[in-house]
Amino acid sequence: MAATQLKTSRRDFARLAGVIGLNSALFPRWMPRMAFRPQQQNAPGDILVVIFQRGGMDGLNVVVPYGEGSAYYDRRPTIAIPEPDGGDNAALDLDGFFGLHPALRPLHEIYQAGHLAVIHAAGSPDPSRSHFDAMEFMERGTPGEKLTSTGWINRHLQTSAWQNDSPFRAIGMGTIVPTSLRGPVSALSLQSIADFHLSGRDDQLAVLQRTLASLYHVPAPVDVLGIQAAEVFASSDILIRLAQSGYEAEYGAEYPNSDFGQGLQQVAQLIKAHVGLEVACLDIGGWDTHEDQGSANGQMASLLDDLARGLGAFYADLQDYRNEVTVVTMSEFGRRAEENASAGTDHGHGNCMFVMGGGLNGGVYARWPGLSDDALDDGDLAITTDYRDVLAEVLAGRVLNPAVDQIFPNFTPTPQGILVPR
Amino acid sequence: MQVSRRDFLKLSGLAVTALRFGNGIRWVGTRPIYAAQQAPAIHVLNRLTWGIRPDDLAKIEAMGIEGYIDWQLNPDTIEDPLIDEFLANHPVLSGSARDVARAESEDYGAVHDLALWHRLYRAIYSERQLYEWMVEFWTDHFNIPIADLVVEKVIDDRDVVRRHALGRFRELLLASAQSPAMLYYLNNASSDKEHPNENYSRELLELHTLGVDGGYTEQDVKEVARILTGWTAQDEAGFLFDSEMHDYGEKTVLGTVFPAGRGIEEGLQFLDMLATHPSTARFIAYKLCRRFVSDAVPASLVESTSQVFLANDGDLRQVMRHILTSAEFMEAQNQKFRRPLEALVAILRVLRPGLDIRDPDIPVYWFLEPMGQLPFYWHPPNGYPDAAGAWINTNGLLSRWNAALLLPLAAEGWYEDMSLNLNAVVPQTATVGELVDTVSQVVLGGDVVPEDREHLIYYLSDYGDPNQSTGETLRAERLASLLGLLMASPYFQWH
Repeated sequence: MAATQLKTSRRDFARLAGVIGLNSALFPRWMPRMAFRPQQQNAPGDILVVIFQRGGMDGLNVVVPYGEGSAYYDRRPTIAIPEPDGGDNAALDLDGFFGLHPALRPLHEIYQAGHLAVIHAAGSPDPSRSHFDAMEFMERGTPGEKLTSTGWINRHLQTSAWQNDSPFRAIGMGTIVPTSLRGPVSALSLQSIADFHLSGRDDQLAVLQRTLASLYHVPAPVDVLGIQAAEVFASSDILIRLAQSGYEAEYGAEYPNSDFGQGLQQVAQLIKAHVGLEVACLDIGGWDTHEDQGSANGQMASLLDDLARGLGAFYADLQDYRNEVTVVTMSEFGRRAEENASAGTDHGHGNCMFVMGGGLNGGVYARWPGLSDDALDDGDLAITTDYRDVLAEVLAGRVLNPAVDQIFPNFTPTPQGILVPR
Repeated sequence: MQVSRRDFLKLSGLAVTALRFGNGIRWVGTRPIYAAQQAPAIHVLNRLTWGIRPDDLAKIEAMGIEGYIDWQLNPDTIEDPLIDEFLANHPVLSGSARDVARAESEDYGAVHDLALWHRLYRAIYSERQLYEWMVEFWTDHFNIPIADLVVEKVIDDRDVVRRHALGRFRELLLASAQSPAMLYYLNNASSDKEHPNENYSRELLELHTLGVDGGYTEQDVKEVARILTGWTAQDEAGFLFDSEMHDYGEKTVLGTVFPAGRGIEEGLQFLDMLATHPSTARFIAYKLCRRFVSDAVPASLVESTSQVFLANDGDLRQVMRHILTSAEFMEAQNQKFRRPLEALVAILRVLRPGLDIRDPDIPVYWFLEPMGQLPFYWHPPNGYPDAAGAWINTNGLLSRWNAALLLPLAAEGWYEDMSLNLNAVVPQTATVGELVDTVSQVVLGGDVVPEDREHLIYYLSDYGDPNQSTGETLRAERLASLLGLLMASPYFQWH
């Protein structure tokens, strides 16, 4: 909404407060320093970047099954994406049957370079069409099981064979830590590197921080706030230095000026700073397109534009890290095959996922169930690939944590052949 | 299983333990932080108000705990002069949809900003503090983001949420179902008999009434969407039943047949069914108990509360009286973590006697926005998360520390458009020890544990001498930040 854009005051304020907080010499010597060593203590495998598209992305208009012909086009009289013809508003062909939404041109280029895997008819097998249940199931990694208390990424961090004491080991970009990251291994939540510093009277910052640290110091039993306070103290010093040194993207990468784009840029900054990052989670919302979804242009096209330009910039910027970073995207469910009265789509089931990185076999992976009446699952695209199959392969093949049975209990993954083992 | 982070904590714990204080090294011992049992009156105030003020203490002492709860349960009988004045100064908040639309078109963004400030202002300044909690609860329950719906949201806040916040659930539900803001936000306004839009019908069942495990099916969602076709809105006229859009065929929902040929009345009948359904009673009881008692929701209280809900036709005053006078409530001290909005309001209530906010952007956009809880800015229909797990994280903690430490600096002239007279907030004291005790009283309504008292005395005095006199210089240079430290402390984050 425009109101936040109207405000320049907060920016000015942040600048003001920034001046006060930036002098890291004010931080006392005893404060926890980089308790980890760059590189050698890092994880052996890829850095994992997980993107959650909240709201239920309409996969049928993202990776368009134009080869279905009327089974696709008749169900979507106003919102369908035209089949590839080279035009600006037509799908970008992948394999003669599927095409990418035209707003995904940056991803199409990555696909052509062999660094994008497209998985279709994928998702979480639980039939819930509730956003909130479907998201929780997906992020806990145990579809249908409400008693799971930890997220799948947290279980990955718990079961890894290596040590990493960096406060930057796992981060969630934004103000709320996603469910997938929750659990006994603490994750850092970070909205803005530039704003991540204690503020107050500049002549008293050190003593204020010292006093706060004392007030939050509760050795036992473990106090949830105390843990977060220790994380703030351990990380802010380094983030202040990072903010001071500034950041310039490489290889001509231009990140969108959106929360998502800026979030990705900060992840790239942390990766290049070698601060011990293993997993980063980003959210991109707005996919609940019940009304005026648009087609080649419109509401969803602008979301896809943000997504694709963000990922395109990230891919370019991290050219030197191409074989060390894997990106995975997911959304809680796809949308109904047929459009509704509001030129939108209601909650559905099967969806598409992307995996991006240097360590994979680019291509389309789909055991395609089809869109005929009989093939649909209660009117929705059926799921033929469990999203955990994809994640398990990334974890075992690239992140190098084979403890998939503990990360996804009671699930036996089916190999997909997407990743090139590291 | 390895938890490598634990080793890190041990490490940093050691680093924090060896603190240097002034000239000497002091070793910080272990201490239980929330060990002290609170007086029941303090607990009640902690939960019924948005931050304890000296006036509140006096009132509960005079009225007794039950008297105070009853008083707060009847907001219409509570004088509220500051809010009356605010509304008189901002007549657009009392205007028709047409008035609000005109004001927004004349000064783009003004009504939007006013709506956000109005939310904060009432939580800070209203005497009807429990009522403001109910407003917050229903704002989340029937969540509608203000983006794209400024006019409708202002009307919804007043005519749906505020009108029925302590009324009957049945009336609240109907008002929400016919609110243009809701009809537009969840797209029922554009649903029709040819291709019903299921967005509203699903959230109506899942989030507003039965709950996701309340016993309905996907087929029920589709049938409800058919029942509610034709429930739409027209600009400025508000709710409208459009018979052209309505599906007059037969429907079956939750095992009940809705015969063919009926119009708006089948929707009204269905909403009544929902409002009195045992699953609805249980779901609303569960959410209220989580909000007002504890994230670890006591099952016994949910059960008894849902019985009260059903026996009193969803009378929210009776339901709330039951919760607030229960043993489970009284035992749940310090179990709720203040969400960002609540933390900010609590800070402003501490500073209130000396505070003059001339530019609402300072609290709203400078401080609350980075904390991640601008009013009316949660986009999905489930409302801002209630439980602590969603909010306790590094970004949230740091941004509330900064709000706590920076806002009192208004006393030192940091902000052109906000001033603060600390003498109106903290009475004069003779010694440093007395000052810490006084400020603890002002901020927390009680004392901190002796170890923390010492930390704070060390902040004020190089030698940690509680008997050092409190000179004017010390007040001028340290009092604002002492308030900040207490408001940033763990004590203040729970209530």
